[in-house]
Amino acid sequence: MFFRMVEKDQIADLVRGLASEYEVVGPVEKQGRFVFAPVTGAEELRLDYDTTLLPPKRWFFPPEETIMRFRTADEEVTDDEVFAPPRVLFGLHPCDINALLLMDNVFTRDYVDPYYKARRDNTLVVGVSCTPSDTCFCNVWDTDEVHWGFDVFLTDLGDRYYASLRTVKGAELLDDYVKSSEVTEEDTAEFQRVVGEFKQAFDNDVDTTQLPVLLDAKFDSPIWDEFGEQCLSCGACSMVCPTCYCFDVTDRLAPDQKSGRRVRTWDSCQFKEFAAVAHGQNFREGRASRVKYRYYHKQWGYLSKFERVLCVGCGRCARACPSDISPVRVIEALQTGGVR
Amino acid sequence: MSVIPQDAYRRDAETNPYRPWPARITSIIDLTETEKLFEFRIIDPEIRESFTFQSGQFVELSIFGVGEAPISISSAPSKQGFVELCVRCAGDVTGALHAKQCGDVVGIRGPFGRGFPFQEMKGHDVLLVAGGLGIAPLKSLINHIHDERHEFGKVTILYGAKNPAEVLFRYQFDMWKHRDDFDLILTVDEPDESWDGERGLVTGLFDQIEVDPDNTYGAICGPPVMYKYVIDEMRKKHMDVDKIYVSFERRMKCGIGKCGHCGVGHQYTCVDGPVFNYWEAMNLQGAI
Repeated sequence: MFFRMVEKDQIADLVRGLASEYEVVGPVEKQGRFVFAPVTGAEELRLDYDTTLLPPKRWFFPPEETIMRFRTADEEVTDDEVFAPPRVLFGLHPCDINALLLMDNVFTRDYVDPYYKARRDNTLVVGVSCTPSDTCFCNVWDTDEVHWGFDVFLTDLGDRYYASLRTVKGAELLDDYVKSSEVTEEDTAEFQRVVGEFKQAFDNDVDTTQLPVLLDAKFDSPIWDEFGEQCLSCGACSMVCPTCYCFDVTDRLAPDQKSGRRVRTWDSCQFKEFAAVAHGQNFREGRASRVKYRYYHKQWGYLSKFERVLCVGCGRCARACPSDISPVRVIEALQTGGVR
Repeated sequence: MSVIPQDAYRRDAETNPYRPWPARITSIIDLTETEKLFEFRIIDPEIRESFTFQSGQFVELSIFGVGEAPISISSAPSKQGFVELCVRCAGDVTGALHAKQCGDVVGIRGPFGRGFPFQEMKGHDVLLVAGGLGIAPLKSLINHIHDERHEFGKVTILYGAKNPAEVLFRYQFDMWKHRDDFDLILTVDEPDESWDGERGLVTGLFDQIEVDPDNTYGAICGPPVMYKYVIDEMRKKHMDVDKIYVSFERRMKCGIGKCGHCGVGHQYTCVDGPVFNYWEAMNLQGAI
């Protein structure tokens, strides 16, 4: 990787330059919280944000999208083109970039998903360093660092950014729009100091020892009934999760019934009908079985396929859950045998 | 009517795994009150020729305006150019399919998933156990074995249905009863006066059969409650856990390991199954 130093006051130029070629999406403030939204200038960006309400996955995998248009008379697809405008996601934290890498495993490997892939290909990612908030636990999964999946990553050194250039495109952007300078040994030493402080700032301590074994060995543990009792099956955890990729597909007919759209929407394994089949059998009828499945899949099912857990410790689910169910609580219950 | 150029159509179909290929219904046979056997022919000749599958795999049947449903293939892979699906009228998509006529067009995507290990089974005895609609995927395997009968040892088929009216493919099984190269035993829970087969559950038939445990592959498909009891019987006959194959029904919505609906334990039924051996299935939490 190559590195450059960028003065903070150059960010305005960078965003202005990017906006001339791309749609720029970044963290903006909304009623005291933060969301990713299109911006026209750096003054709208809040690069000091803690976390956003919704993860950036919607820019690759929208909550609802038409995957094809059809004609009913002859069952022909009339259009399945993907709308993927050139876009920059500006200011993603390491957890969210890591989440994209986990999504990439699902959508860009076997049976490439053309919709996700087109947007991923047409989107540049500019990452920015962060400070841990009280619900963050990315340190637990080593997702507090990210080394690929972005074009440029900006580590905040106070009045300057230590910019890691991962791709040719990323390097070109800096060349084109900002004055950057060579990285000195002192700069790298400062980078190390800042990153070291960041690592020290996490105060949670989650014991993930032998988690896959515990998930199997304690599959019938009463802790799941307790979490099942608390869970409202609202699915908020899935919607705010940067790594939840499950979806539903429905057909919507035009009023004339002759044509229509096949639409996919975000879905959640916490919804009652999620695992139901046609003639009434539901493989995860009870809430306990659904809560358990979510964690089982994230911490073991996905791991068994892609060698990473399907969680980046962003803490959004912990914030969103009306019953305060969180990965930290669930893992602790698995370790201790009791729900706290 | 506007016509989509053939080139454009093929290019899209090849790159978009969600896009169904139009297929014409070439035959419909009423099997029971709720099940029909449909034969389809994919309209695009190139796609049709490249459409090869294994017994145990499934397709996504698409009817635009209604949706998609995963259906296991009933015909043998050796029957090229056509796909047969035995479909119960159970939901929206299957209901809409039942309303179709010969010559109508629907959509098909696939084939998807992992089928039965046909090549591995060669040179061995085979014990196939089906309950109800579970005969649909096994029918593909049975017909495939039939086409290469000399490659297999003893072939035993146990098939249980609720009552004589619900026995699927009865016309074929009636013919096979007289063959000495297939040991076929049918049973029903609720026989009527016309029934001359066995009565009771399919597990009750195990007393009547001899199994060479070191040389036999098992294949099971049926309603979810059936698996455990049939596997118990096979284990009593000392069959190996990794030579017993089961086929699962789950909600395979996308068919390609993405949508998440068919998750079972740490696997997805659509790409890791729907056929698993019993060792794998035992390791899938909540599967059996």
